[in-house]
Amino acid sequence: MARESLLISTLVELADNLVDNFDVIDVLTVLSDRCVEAIDVDAAGVMLASPGGELQFVASSSESMRVLELFQIQADEGPCVDCYKDGNAIVNHALEVPDARWPRFTPQAVAQGFRSVHCLPLRLRGRTIGALNLFRTEQGPLDADDVIVAQGLADVATIAILQHRTSLDARLLNDQLSNALNSRIIIEQAKGKVSQ
Amino acid sequence: MLVVATDRLIAILTLVRQQKHNGHQGGRLCAVAAEVTEQSGAGIALSSERGGLTSMCASNRVAQRLMDLEITFGEGPCFDASRSSGAIEEVELDSPSSLRWLAYSPAAGAVGARAVFGFPICIGAICLGALSLYRDLPGPLTDAQASDAYLMASVAARAVLAMQAGAPEDMIADELVRESTFDFSVHQAAGMVSVQGAMSVGDALVALRAHAFTSDCTSSELALRIVARDLRFEPQTGEWRDG
Repeated sequence: MARESLLISTLVELADNLVDNFDVIDVLTVLSDRCVEAIDVDAAGVMLASPGGELQFVASSSESMRVLELFQIQADEGPCVDCYKDGNAIVNHALEVPDARWPRFTPQAVAQGFRSVHCLPLRLRGRTIGALNLFRTEQGPLDADDVIVAQGLADVATIAILQHRTSLDARLLNDQLSNALNSRIIIEQAKGKVSQ
Repeated sequence: MLVVATDRLIAILTLVRQQKHNGHQGGRLCAVAAEVTEQSGAGIALSSERGGLTSMCASNRVAQRLMDLEITFGEGPCFDASRSSGAIEEVELDSPSSLRWLAYSPAAGAVGARAVFGFPICIGAICLGALSLYRDLPGPLTDAQASDAYLMASVAARAVLAMQAGAPEDMIADELVRESTFDFSVHQAAGMVSVQGAMSVGDALVALRAHAFTSDCTSSELALRIVARDLRFEPQTGEWRDG
């Protein structure tokens, strides 16, 4: 598929999740898969922040253990953590041992055959909810257009997730209200029973 | 089209802020609903478990009476709108187009309504309840009135959730109780009747509503008499007795 067509169909795919059957893992798996197809990277994955601000691995383009491990060890050190904390993209970071910046992460990534890493924030306006991590088996800069494309896809995925969270908040609140009304009704019934 | 809706939404929000009706938020929402849709009155009911409805507020006595009737009979525009998540209309209660509300339609006509409408109060796929409108003249809503009713329902949805936000789990927010006219006495009365008649609370509620229907009053009015011990259920005879 030509890159334009692939991108357009990916955008539609991501936007479609706003409407029906929203699954955050699906959205982020689509994002990771399409990054590998549309731009010159070899593996991609996403980490999202939990309510406490800790990053958790959620989706990747590859299920191979070597890639999954690279995400797991980024709980407290690595490009995703830095990208999430600063809200800034990290591009064209060459992976070479020793690495003073990520002394534990980099040797692992190099051992798995990766030579450069890139990380883009999942960000809407001032709010960062996670990071998109891209790995390449070669060094050398990522094409500037590729960075724009990946950030664009990440932005759409972020909007989808935030939109979904808003509707979930409303749903939770409504469930809670319905339960509360019910509890109150039961209390009134019990008051009536006790008074007899 | 979008611009028109935004303008109307701003107009509605401004009216809600300016309304003094009843001094509570629920009353204001209902009063503005009636005003913007140019109807005689409006009411809001919230869904509780298993498709039940609880009256939250009404803009005037007739609207409150219609809401009581709807809850007494378990049928009417709010029930249908919240169940179907779509708009409901009955443009001539005196000669209804269908026989969907056998008990509600004549009773609603008797208290002064000629046309009634129901709009679901929803946020996306979540349905919280319904907004009902009535008019003392027959006839459908205009497109503009129907469009305003939808907007009003969405304003009500957000207002209700905003009031409930932050309340402890399993509690109705104090603000929501304060800003509405929930009638919980019906349920207290049902609890009393369940003991008097040695039946389940659900059966007691049905008995209470049935008696309200046959004695030409609302379940709220009947409940007040039961709670005040002016009326009780006699299980031996299956009759209701004063005092």
